[in-house]
Amino acid sequence: MNAMIHIDIYRYNPEKDSQPYMQRFDVPWEKTGMKLLDALNYIKWHSDGSLTYRRSCGEGVCGSDGMNINGVNGLACITSIEGLKQPIKVRPLPSMEVIRDLVVDTTHFFDQYRQIKPWLQSKTPTPEHERLQTPDERAELDGSYECILCGCCTTSCPSWWWNGDRFMGPAVLLQADRWMKDSRDEAMGERLDQLEDAFKLYRCHQILNCMEACPKGLNPTAAIGHIKRTLLNRKS
Amino acid sequence: MVNQHRDLGSAHSGFSDWYWQRFSAVVLATLLPAAFVLLWAVYSGVLDQQSLLDYLDSFVSRLLHSLLIVALMVHAYMGLKVMIEDYVHAAMRIFLIALMLVMMGLFGMWWLALIWAWGG
Ligand code: SF4
Ligand code: SF4
Ligand code: FES
Repeated sequence: MNAMIHIDIYRYNPEKDSQPYMQRFDVPWEKTGMKLLDALNYIKWHSDGSLTYRRSCGEGVCGSDGMNINGVNGLACITSIEGLKQPIKVRPLPSMEVIRDLVVDTTHFFDQYRQIKPWLQSKTPTPEHERLQTPDERAELDGSYECILCGCCTTSCPSWWWNGDRFMGPAVLLQADRWMKDSRDEAMGERLDQLEDAFKLYRCHQILNCMEACPKGLNPTAAIGHIKRTLLNRKS
Repeated sequence: MVNQHRDLGSAHSGFSDWYWQRFSAVVLATLLPAAFVLLWAVYSGVLDQQSLLDYLDSFVSRLLHSLLIVALMVHAYMGLKVMIEDYVHAAMRIFLIALMLVMMGLFGMWWLALIWAWGG
């Protein structure tokens, strides 16, 4: 338990560095069950304050510390050091522009999210009290509402790497499906119309990278399949 | 990577591409085995060449054969189109898809001509 943890971290400061490079850090084991985020914090607080990464909740809820850990996307805060092969290679999420070190530019990702109008849209008059949902209708949202938009799935999707300018990517499509499944939402038609596109939706070829990457254990591929089936039912 | 808001709206074409790819796959999955059964019958001596030709000459066979070729072309076109869309960008994409369409169209027509022209 006294051994050191060896971590190679991707470093890049566009103002100073002409090229990114990997930097080795050695971090002492602080406690059993130590997470990768604990090690990054140790580095930032004790070894090198210039190391830059996003984090907030520290418990897999906010979705801000998605990164590429030993080649697999995941959240640093819920990834145990114990299970990781050392030296641990930590890189920013793939296929996004690096702002600095492990911080990537998520503007396009969240713009795509905004495009699907991720809020409740209703046409019927607002009821006097709330819009009700039966327990079964609520259960329909299990498996989608848990998504924290960390981007681990989308940045591991080859289709998004090649055509991310138009392909919405697994996270956004899972969210689109979430609103279509919501019994209170009344914009199903518009939502389907928007996604019926060879690039926005049908770029997904069921490679399943997204499902493997999701730290919340969600299955965006199934959600995409559900949208495709809904479109099929609408036309046939 | 694109960073500004850039929503071109829907092209409303994805569904039919997807549909035809799957539909043609179903046709292929039903008709291709028939072709292989004929082939097997010839090689195993159950059919001689003349009776094979008699089979192929019949009107129903020609219809099914035509359907098979059309489905094959549609399926190959859709599959390759998707691959080109995945990996090739900008003007080259449209050029390659068009080239492929012309070549497959010609090949399909040639084959259909063979089906309907031979024999009596
Ligand atoms: S299943 Fe679809 S969305 Fe998921 S990684 Fe593969 S292509 Fe991307
Ligand atoms: S589906 Fe999973 S991996 Fe994708 S953004 Fe949501 S929580 Fe993250
Ligand atoms: S810090 Fe919030 S999800 Fe990891």
